[in-house]
Amino acid sequence: MNHTIIFQPSGRRGLVPEDTTILDAARRLGVGIEAVCGEQLVCGKCRVKIMEGSFPKEGITSSMAHLSGLDEKEIKVLKRKDSDENLRLACSTRIKGDVLVFVPEASRTGKQVVSKAAGKIRVSLKPAVRKFYVELPHPSLDDPLGDFERLEQALEEAHGLKKLRIDFRALQRLPDVLRRSDWKVTVTVWQKAEIIRVEAGKVETNIGLAVDIGTTTCAGYLTDLNTGEVIATESMMNPQVRYGEDVMSRITYCMLNEETGLRELQQTIIEGLNAMAKQASHKAGFTPEDISEMTLVGNTAMHHILLGINPEHMGVAPFTPALHQSVDIKADRFGIHILPAGNIHVLPIEAGFVGADNVGCLIADVPHKRKEITLLVDIGTNGELVLGNRDKLISCSCATGPALEGAQIEFGMRAAPGAIERVKIDPETKEPAYKVIGSNRWSDGEANMQAKGICGSAIIDVIAEMFRAGILRKNGQINMECDSKRVRKGEKGVAEYVLAWRHETSIDQDIVVNQKDVRAIQLAKGALYSGCLIMMRRLGLTQFDRLAVAGAFGSHIDKVAAMIIGMFPDCDLKKVKYIGNAAGDGARIALLNVDKRKEANEIARKVEYVELALEEDFNDRFGEAMQFPHMFDPFPHLAGILPPEVLNIEQHV
Amino acid sequence: MATKEKEQELIRRLQDAVIHYKVAEAKKIAEETVASGADAYTVTMEGLAGGMEVVSEKFDSHEYFVPETLLCAKALYAALDVLKPHIKVQAGGTRGQVVLGVMQGDVHDLGKNIIKAIFEASGWTVHDLGRDVPLQKFVEEQLKTDSDIVMLSAMMTTSMVGIKKLIPMIKEKNPKVKIMIGGAPITEKTVEEYGADTTADNAPNALKEAMKMLDTLRRGKAA
Repeated sequence: MNHTIIFQPSGRRGLVPEDTTILDAARRLGVGIEAVCGEQLVCGKCRVKIMEGSFPKEGITSSMAHLSGLDEKEIKVLKRKDSDENLRLACSTRIKGDVLVFVPEASRTGKQVVSKAAGKIRVSLKPAVRKFYVELPHPSLDDPLGDFERLEQALEEAHGLKKLRIDFRALQRLPDVLRRSDWKVTVTVWQKAEIIRVEAGKVETNIGLAVDIGTTTCAGYLTDLNTGEVIATESMMNPQVRYGEDVMSRITYCMLNEETGLRELQQTIIEGLNAMAKQASHKAGFTPEDISEMTLVGNTAMHHILLGINPEHMGVAPFTPALHQSVDIKADRFGIHILPAGNIHVLPIEAGFVGADNVGCLIADVPHKRKEITLLVDIGTNGELVLGNRDKLISCSCATGPALEGAQIEFGMRAAPGAIERVKIDPETKEPAYKVIGSNRWSDGEANMQAKGICGSAIIDVIAEMFRAGILRKNGQINMECDSKRVRKGEKGVAEYVLAWRHETSIDQDIVVNQKDVRAIQLAKGALYSGCLIMMRRLGLTQFDRLAVAGAFGSHIDKVAAMIIGMFPDCDLKKVKYIGNAAGDGARIALLNVDKRKEANEIARKVEYVELALEEDFNDRFGEAMQFPHMFDPFPHLAGILPPEVLNIEQHV
Repeated sequence: MATKEKEQELIRRLQDAVIHYKVAEAKKIAEETVASGADAYTVTMEGLAGGMEVVSEKFDSHEYFVPETLLCAKALYAALDVLKPHIKVQAGGTRGQVVLGVMQGDVHDLGKNIIKAIFEASGWTVHDLGRDVPLQKFVEEQLKTDSDIVMLSAMMTTSMVGIKKLIPMIKEKNPKVKIMIGGAPITEKTVEEYGADTTADNAPNALKEAMKMLDTLRRGKAA
């Protein structure tokens, strides 16, 4: 039996079978509801309000009675949050009749501020796709040579192209196009080997799309293959987010839904890519069919899911990927709507947890061609590190988890309007000042800032500032001896610091950073730091020449704050360089230069992967790195910023 | 034979060394204990286990976190390695036996190692299978040792899924055995869904849960 469900404020409605959960119904109808814990009845972020009564305009009568009963666990999670009436958790509530569901602002997956702007790249133009204009002699009874062979001859004469294949989709249209255009055509040739399109007359347009599929956000760069210029940038949330926030939960989704899971996830990202191709091409005044080639980067899980390869095996030790080398595949093989005969080039993979996105970073930042030692840190939902120079490069993956991005944090949220993005704390008064996305002014503790939560960059800021102001001890403990009303025990007796009072927020409650949040950050940054340390040890290094921070999120991190909490080893802050969305830059480079694709394949196999967890002393190093900035390692470059006694440096009298 | 006062002094100093993670000091006190002829069992139980109990309390109250606990465990082992050969085997033993391991496909063993230290310190016999343990191995080890409890650790959702398969395998051979699961992705809901007996979010709680289960088991046997 089917029931009507209507979501507000989006107004989406539809019929769903009995016993569908509200969250599943929301997914089907494209309504974004936060499901941070992956339907584990933990986070309570998916709570929705059920409207009671008859709604003639909508043609339904909605009631709490039209839902599965509340069980103890749900009551427990709901209670923890607030006591408003008619609230339910979307993940566990099943539909038994018609309902009208209101999704409160705090539960909505907001329109994210995605900033994966294209960086400046330097690359010589040698695209895989090129266009050739030719004029063919008309056939006659004396010269009845077939159309393709006629075209072949003309291409050889005019451009020296030999032994070309033709894609059957181009072939099917060839006779008509030739005659319609009076035998003057533009031919699109891929890798000097295959004709993939024949257009009437002279066409200059030659464009491709470079895409970075991130676990959380995706970015597409529509690029003019004649000039190398980006003519449109399009970004979006990875639509797979609704199946789980991180890579592991999506792999698990595939494992638990053997028949359909992988296909669902694959279909979801392909629909996303199609929407992206459409919007980007329209923005620049073209059609998706004008896109002759697409290059893609993404982590190994995103890569496997896109290609419909079961990601289960790369998700468990020994984390083996299905293949390392790059893949070329026709666009219409998976229903990707660019030129149907167009090529999809997926960059190669280094290891199970160091994927094509990292290879993209490498061909963009080229540490393998530098003499100086680079430590490349790509912080996304996972952290990937590369260390070395032209002589040798090693890589590893750090299980940072999504805490650094604001997930697993009580008041964490994505970088969307209402998110606190910068924080300063006065060490004397312990009073904070913060900035919210969408506004330029700093908070004063009085004005309503319409704050909703804390995004990743501010999490790092606030932890660093709390430590600097003495609210956090070196071991991460919240210092209850602080003389401030902002430092207090929360409802469940957990220590917390009030960053924004209720009257400053739009969620009608205080925004706090609690002891558990601090612990989550300690685990994440400890993973990153110990990764750096073990890699340096592996290469016998005590320092590096440059620290390249990649990732859209990485670019928003304050480098002083990052060093205060000890995300990476002490160094001169001048060595820290933000290299932006290097993975996306790498996709563009591969789009524009086929030699770089070869280089990517070579470097992907050359980088030596280090499995951190297998290092004998990993747990010890990991543990030590959880303190601020570190339990033992000295941080001389923070002298003057932090008191000397926490820097582990010998103090001179 | 050491005097009662000497023994008490050793116990107090050993507790202090564990709590304040003084590794070398812990080893030194253990050696002193052996040399003095004090009862190794008493010193272990009261000094080491007593010390770890305080560490657990500090963990509970958020004063200590993973780094401190790891170091405390290190101090604990430094002393235990010295004392163990001198402990006379206790007939029957007051505490139980556990089989402990990290699920197949998972190599994250930090949590498991802390559990091991706390259990060993309080007199449990721990059969540690290590990490990335094939499912069958848990079943075999339980049968071989007749352990009371099997403790399964998973840090990734992908390896957690294996627990669902494993629990029926263990219970089929031995329906009485209790199963505790733990690790970052595990919640109360997992316990229910996978048919485990309990979970704990940190090592001290795991010990409490284990004590409870052991109690139930023994009472069941007595009845």
